[in-house]
Parts: sequence; C-alpha cells; structure tokens
Amino acid sequence: MDALLEYAWVVVALPLLSAVLITAVGKQLPGKGSEIGIAALGISWLLAIGIAWETFVNSPIEPLERAVDWSPLGGGFVFELGILVDGLTAVMLLLVTTVSFMVHIYSREYMKGEPRYTYFFAMLGLFTFSMLLLVVANNLLQAVIGWELVGLCSYLLIGFYWEGKSNQDAANKAFLTTKFGDVGLIVGVIVLSAGMFGLTDTPFNIIEINEAAFAGQLSTTTIVLGMLLIFLGCISKSGQMPLHVWLPDAMAGPTPVSALIHAATMVTAGIFLLARLFPVVAQSQAVMATIAIVGVITLFFGGLLALVQDDLKKILAYSTISQLGYMVAAIGVGGYAASIFHLFTHGFFKALLFLGAGSLIHAVHSNNISDMGGMARAMPHTFWTFIVGSLALAGFPLTAGFFSKEEVLAAGDIWAGAGFFTGSLVFWVGLAASFVTTFYMARAVFLIFAGESRSHHPPHESGKLMVGPLMLLAVLSIASGYLLTPMSPEAPNFETWLATPILDEEATFPFTGDGATEASPGTVTGDGVLAGAASPAPLAAAGEDGAVSILHGVPYWNLTKLAMVLVLFFSALFLAWRFYGKGLPERDPTLQMGGFSRALVNKYGFDDAGYRYIVVPVRDKLSAAATYSSNVLIDGVVAGVGRATKHAAVATYRVVDQQVIDGGIHGAAFSAAWWSEKLKRIQSGDVQKYAGVLVAGTILLVLAFAAAR
Amino acid sequence: MSPIGPLVLAAFLFSAGVYGVIARRNAVLVLISVELMLNAVNINLVTFQNLLFPGDPAVTGQMFALFIIGVAAAEVGVGLAIVFNMFRNRASVDVDDADLMRW
Repeated sequence: MDALLEYAWVVVALPLLSAVLITAVGKQLPGKGSEIGIAALGISWLLAIGIAWETFVNSPIEPLERAVDWSPLGGGFVFELGILVDGLTAVMLLLVTTVSFMVHIYSREYMKGEPRYTYFFAMLGLFTFSMLLLVVANNLLQAVIGWELVGLCSYLLIGFYWEGKSNQDAANKAFLTTKFGDVGLIVGVIVLSAGMFGLTDTPFNIIEINEAAFAGQLSTTTIVLGMLLIFLGCISKSGQMPLHVWLPDAMAGPTPVSALIHAATMVTAGIFLLARLFPVVAQSQAVMATIAIVGVITLFFGGLLALVQDDLKKILAYSTISQLGYMVAAIGVGGYAASIFHLFTHGFFKALLFLGAGSLIHAVHSNNISDMGGMARAMPHTFWTFIVGSLALAGFPLTAGFFSKEEVLAAGDIWAGAGFFTGSLVFWVGLAASFVTTFYMARAVFLIFAGESRSHHPPHESGKLMVGPLMLLAVLSIASGYLLTPMSPEAPNFETWLATPILDEEATFPFTGDGATEASPGTVTGDGVLAGAASPAPLAAAGEDGAVSILHGVPYWNLTKLAMVLVLFFSALFLAWRFYGKGLPERDPTLQMGGFSRALVNKYGFDDAGYRYIVVPVRDKLSAAATYSSNVLIDGVVAGVGRATKHAAVATYRVVDQQVIDGGIHGAAFSAAWWSEKLKRIQSGDVQKYAGVLVAGTILLVLAFAAAR
Repeated sequence: MSPIGPLVLAAFLFSAGVYGVIARRNAVLVLISVELMLNAVNINLVTFQNLLFPGDPAVTGQMFALFIIGVAAAEVGVGLAIVFNMFRNRASVDVDDADLMRW
C-alpha cells in the first residue's frame, strides 16, 4: 500500500516544474503557459487523491518517512531533506492540490487579457510548490523554508497589480507583518531543536521532536518557549489578532489568488504547523490556554468586522480571519482533529466563496456589494454555488461547515467538561460568533442576489472554465463534511485518518483540569454540541485518572444543542432579511450603532494604532536612528579604518618600500657596479699575463699538494 | 743509464719555454717557446718509458712523443698562419699589441 505514498514527492515537484517551464517557454505557447500549469496541477491532484485514498481507507497508518541527508550542520548534526507522509500530510496535499487545480482552471478565464498572464501562472505554480514543500516536510528547517517561500509568493501575488501604489503598500504590509511572526517561528524552531540536542543526530526531525515531547524528554521551558514563539509565527501567518491586519489588505491581489492563498491554503500554514507539532503543544496547559484565548478573540472580533464591510472580498477576508480563529481555538482546547477538519472543509467552501466573488466581480466590475443586487437571475450558477458556500460557512446543518464547526465547538465543550475554563469560552463565544457569521453572510447574499440590480454593467454569467470549478467546490463543500459525522463508522473516518502512532486513541493529555480531579475517575463527560464528540456515556477513551483523551471519537447527536444552533441560524437569517431583504436600505443598520459601528469601521483602531505607534515611530525615529548609526557611526568607523589604512600605507611606502627594499636593491646594484669596476682590470687582454698567472697557480697547486703529502 | 741527465735537460727546456711564453714579445718566439715546452715533455715521456718499463715491446712513451711531434707540427702551422695574418693586419708581431680582448 505504500507504493503510492513513495511518490508523494512528485506531487510537490510537479508545481515547481510547472513554474520553471512556464517561466522558460510559457510565452511561446498558445495558452501562454496556463496549459502547463493546469496539466501539472491535474497530475498532482490525481496523485494526491490516490495518496489521500490510500491513507484514508487504511487509517490509522504508519507514517512514511523518506529523507536524504542534505548537509551536515557540524557537530554531528544533520539537516535532512525529506518527506513525511501520514494522514495529516495527505489531508493537506488533497486540499492544496484541489484548490490550486481549481484556481488554475478558473484563472485561465478570469485572468484572460490581464498583463503578465504567464507570470501569474508561474507564480501560482511556485506558490503551490512552496505550500506543498511545507506540508510534506519531515523536519522543521524544511518547513521553515516552505513557510518563507509561501510568504514570498504571497508578497509577489498581492502586489501583482504593482502599478497601483495601494497594492504595493498592501504587499509590503503583508510581507512585513508576517515577517515579524516569522522571526518568532525561526527562534521557536531553534529553541525546540536546541532541546533535542543530545537526544538525536537530527534535532529538527518532526517525528523525533513529537516523540521526545510525548515521552517527556523535553524540558517545560523548551516546550513553552519554543511553542509560544512558533505560535507567534502562526499568529502572523494565519491572521490571528492582533497581526491579522495584513489579511484584509491582501485582497488587493487578483481574486483567484485570494481564494488560493488568503483563504484556502497559505493562511492555514500556521494551523497546520500547530497540528503537526500537536504532541508538543499538548504538553503544556499554558501554551494551549494562550492559543485558545488568541483563537477566541480572533474568531469573535474578526467576525464582527465583516458586518460593516461593503467590499465583498473584505467580508470574505474577515470571515476567513474568524474561521481561522475557530481552528486555532480548536487546537487550544485539544481539538486536534476538529481543527484540521474545519481547516479542510473551510478550504473548500472559502475557495468556493472567493471564486464565486471573483465571478460576481468579473460581471459587475466592482468589488462592492452596494453595486450588485439582483444577480440571482443573471448568474444562476454563481448564485446557487455561492449559496452553498454561504450555508457551509454559516454552519447550516448537513453542510460540511456545519459538521466541522460543531466539531470545534464540541471540542470546546469536552474541554470545559474536563474542567478547563478556556473550553467554555470557546464553546459559548464560538456559538455567538456563528450567529454573527450567519448574519454577515446573509447580509452579503441578500444585497448581492436579491432586489434590483444596482450595477452599471449588465451582469452576465461567467464561462464554463469559471463555473466548473465553482460546481466541483460546491459539491466538496457539502461532501467533505461527511468524513466525520455522527453517521461515520468507527474507522476509517477523518479522525482515524489524522491519527499517528503517537496520537492514537489511547493518547491523553499529560495534565488534568479541575473538573476531572474532582469528579470520580472516568466520568469526564463531553456533553457535545449537536454533533458533540464522544459517546453520551462517560468519555469512552478517558483514562482511569480522569485524563482527557486527545482523539474524541465519533460524535453523536445532541438535539438540545442542535436546536440552539438552528435557532441562532434562523434568527440571524430573519434579522438579515428584515434589514436587507428588500434591497440596499437607505441607512445600513450595521452602520447605525453609534460607537460600536465606528469601532468596527475603524477596525478597532488596529490599523491606525499600528500606523501611529509602529509605522510612524519606525519611520521617523528608528529609521532616523538607523540612518544616523549608518551614516555617522558605521560610516565613521569605515572611514576611520580607511584613513588609518591610508596612513599605514604611506608610512610603509616611505620606510619599508623606499628605504628598506629600494635601499637593498640599489645597494646590490651599486656594489655590483663597484666590484665589477675593480674586477674588470683582471681581464687585461695581455695573454702573457694570463699565462704567467696560470704557471704561478700551477706551481702553487703543486706545492700545496706536495705539502699535503 | 741514469735518468738525471735527460730529466734535467727536460726541466731546463720546459722552464726556458715557460719563460719564453711569458716574457717574449715576438709572437714567433712565443711559438718557438711553446715548441720547447712540448719537446721537454717528449723527453720526459721517452725517459720515463725507459726508466719504468725497460724492454717493454709496447713503447707507449715513444709513441706518445711521436704523436706530440705530429700535433706540434700542425699547431705550429696554425700558429704561424695566425702570426702571418696578424703581421699582415697590423705590421707587427708583438703580442703586447694584440690586446683587443680586454675590458
């Protein structure tokens, strides 16, 4: 069964090959390079499906790790370059290649006529490669390389329309903001691997780090410091508050890019990394609480911001921030599988929504929902696929978003049941935020599709190449949820898919909450949401001492909470219909709430505060200080060194060169001349004198030999 | 017979030759002095052949003397030709004048 898994590297290599080929010969081809990208991604996609199938039906599987020693780091430590294929990798491979393939096909029509069409496809390939490199990494250094490449591609694609100053600014903002977190990530990786020194030759190996952490071989300091720093990287990359500010601005890029990068794949890198290192995360209650609280803040306040946006892409951007908050919060409350499940389904329906938004924008030539309206008649396919995506995002029952989001809330509930405060926080705030989600999506849908058209261009349905991906993603937005539902078998399901030898069904957290210690052993109940996890009986896999198990098992129906969710959904829908059902109101009620609206419109002042307290001081003070230190201090040192060198050189010239060396050479020449003047007299030309000397010499020699005898 | 007589004669001839080569100015006389030295050597060769290997049928010394006489004749031929040319070029056979090979 491993036969296909061995070829996981091909999935990674093909997009890179596509990027290289498109750059080399793309412009000469009839499709301007797009056909190379589509073909490469198509093969990658099929292979990824095969890998996902292999890992899913045989789950839980033994991870397949293949690595070459890339370079010795000195001291006996080795930097590997390799692949690690397990369920988590397969999930990500499937998600990334699916969305990327759909985006490639979609872009072929969407980007038609754009400048730099070929460059765009090359960048898409490079981006896909970077993300896949991160996903299959078997060691953290390789993951960091993929992570940085992803950031680079994101920068290039956000600034794709670089003729506009605001687009350049957005690209710079995204790059600098995520780079801030990347520093944390790199330091965190170093801290973690420093803890591995002495335990292994390959301190960056992910499996070994996980095993060491689970076996308690890593010190608490290493785990807490390392994971908090890595989490800083996740905060910036995955758009968590307060470093989410780049994500809405990143909508400056072309819409397919927004779908690929800023919804479905790149921003999930942080969550993926947390899940990849979940055995380490799970060692520290403090780290998990931090993660949960950041996630809860983001999921709630990020969602509220979407209420007042007029730009459709910004609405979706803030909803992405909010949904990423759910995923992070799920990690923080022990919902390892729930987080990745939500990531998986969210990838599909958010890509669907963004591509649908692209289709609408294509039709009306405006990003603003106030310029749309009545689009349902003109664009029937975009309409129903967008509805499917919106329902999934809002968590309407029996869509993928419903199952995954409720899984997250169930994880919170189980965590609360085990006696952790953050669990109830995630559950109740998450429930409230789902009301907000439903409301802003309903607002967008009513304003776009209902009422009369406010567009200046007569809208028209998009072509097959754009509608096709929408339909496939719409199907996936429903179907992907059925990997883990109350109807799922014990195995294989999404959770067993993600299980690893470390995170098997017997794995538990090393700490217990207040509730667990007080309750009698084995009665930690996860009273799930509607699709609450674990059986209604005491938590099946809970340890005898009340420890919480990491995998929750198949969820079950909880009708009370299902009713609660439905009431929230329909009340939000009704409220939105009251306000927006008859077209755009004169005064948008979300803007009529006084200080609250002002706070939302000002994005809680994050951007202003960031500008005033970070950008301006850096520009006016730090830059000036840096200029001073550069121009005066460093240049002074450099110039001083230069002057000193010059003086030393002149002194050397005068003494060593002119006197010692030249003196020696001249002296040699003069002495040769002087001696030759004296010695030349010997050659008198008088042959008889020579003969006399010859005879005298002979006599002397004879006498000398005679004396010697 | 005692070798003293021929050896003394040879020594005298050789010394006279050396003196002539070093001291005479006339190139012809210098050549004659060279001949004196060669013939002194010839006498020595014959003397020592008879002194050291009396009755030896291989008369090596005498043979060498004969060769030297031959070579000396050739040498004198060349030498006189040089002297003759020298006289034709500068109307003098004084060796002190022939000092062009100097500094």
